[in-house]
Amino acid sequence: MLEILINLLALAIGAGFVGAISGLGGGVFIVPALVVLAHMPMQVAIGASLISVVATSAGASVAFVRDGWTNLKVAMVLECATVTGAVIGAYLAGVVPTVVLELLFAAMMLQSAYFTVSRRGDNILSQGDPLAEQLELSGEVRDETGAMVRYEVVKVPQGGALMVVAGLMSGLLGIGSGALKVMAMDYIMHVPLKVSSATSNFMIGVTAGAGALVFLARGDVATTIAAPVAIGVTAGALAGSRVLPHIKVEALRMVFVIILVLIAAEMGWRAMSGI
Amino acid sequence: MPKQEEDRILRVWTPILLRTILIAAMAVLVAGLVLTYTYAPDYFVDRYNAVQQGHLIGKEKFGTLIERIHSGNPHAVLTIGLFILTLVPLARVAFCFILFIRERDYTYVAFTAYVLAGLIVGVLVGRVG
Repeated sequence: MLEILINLLALAIGAGFVGAISGLGGGVFIVPALVVLAHMPMQVAIGASLISVVATSAGASVAFVRDGWTNLKVAMVLECATVTGAVIGAYLAGVVPTVVLELLFAAMMLQSAYFTVSRRGDNILSQGDPLAEQLELSGEVRDETGAMVRYEVVKVPQGGALMVVAGLMSGLLGIGSGALKVMAMDYIMHVPLKVSSATSNFMIGVTAGAGALVFLARGDVATTIAAPVAIGVTAGALAGSRVLPHIKVEALRMVFVIILVLIAAEMGWRAMSGI
Repeated sequence: MPKQEEDRILRVWTPILLRTILIAAMAVLVAGLVLTYTYAPDYFVDRYNAVQQGHLIGKEKFGTLIERIHSGNPHAVLTIGLFILTLVPLARVAFCFILFIRERDYTYVAFTAYVLAGLIVGVLVGRVG
């Protein structure tokens, strides 16, 4: 037993660590690690990953909330969309053929790779749209000079629509869909990138939690796999967040992109060849 | 209560709530793995091999799990640990829901109630799906 346990913990710690320093979350790496290296069925990997994503989100979001980076109201509005998508996605994960899940996973890896290379500067707006103002979604963020700058939010329905897709992918594939969530907030709703990342991290827990509850209630979570994976991913993510301020993430960006493209190729190959 | 005070309460208490339940869940999971290693290592290996072949235990009654915890059943302890972990976001949304009711901020009462309902629907979907 000890050998299996150590292998599972090592996989999970590695996935959590890389997930934290890349900013993409552990789910993106633990699902392929369990499928390819531990030879687990896709649905088992998704169930275990969803639970570990809940744990890492809870751990990682604490500092962002405390330090004021998270826009709590934006999170609460958009969580309505992500939870809806996640419940539908987790239900579908139980009926959709594995080949479809693998192809979708490959597509999401390519989207994450694109997101990793296409990050741009903030486009802070001084005027929000009426719905965002009514919901009091604006906030303040510290700029490069250290001064507090007020930002306004726009296009809440459009951002919400993309959040339904993000939730759907989260429930279907066992990932946090952080890259999609940040894109929706940053590109569409003009929430500053760092606030988008912190808010996405906060929302990921509820999104993955909705999917995890469907899996747990359905009996689709293998406890002997999910328990060490949850502990390992959380420990890895904690270590990654401690190391993060001391490493040059920019230099590693292309490494993350190559890893994501390789995962996409592997999952795509598995789907096409019927492994 | 002013909006700044509402924001302060959320920023102070949300991290405490998240961290407390997370630590509790992790403690139960570690205890479950130690129990498994001590008393049922063969069960762990058998289940690992069965899961690789796609054989899951399936739906279980919550009451049965609680009964098995009393007898120190490792599977029951691990399952309850995982349930506690999924309660982390549920507890956070419930806390916000109660805060917004106190504030009479009915727009956000509606948003948080929707999310809570979604999480409960998730359990129901899992039970019947």
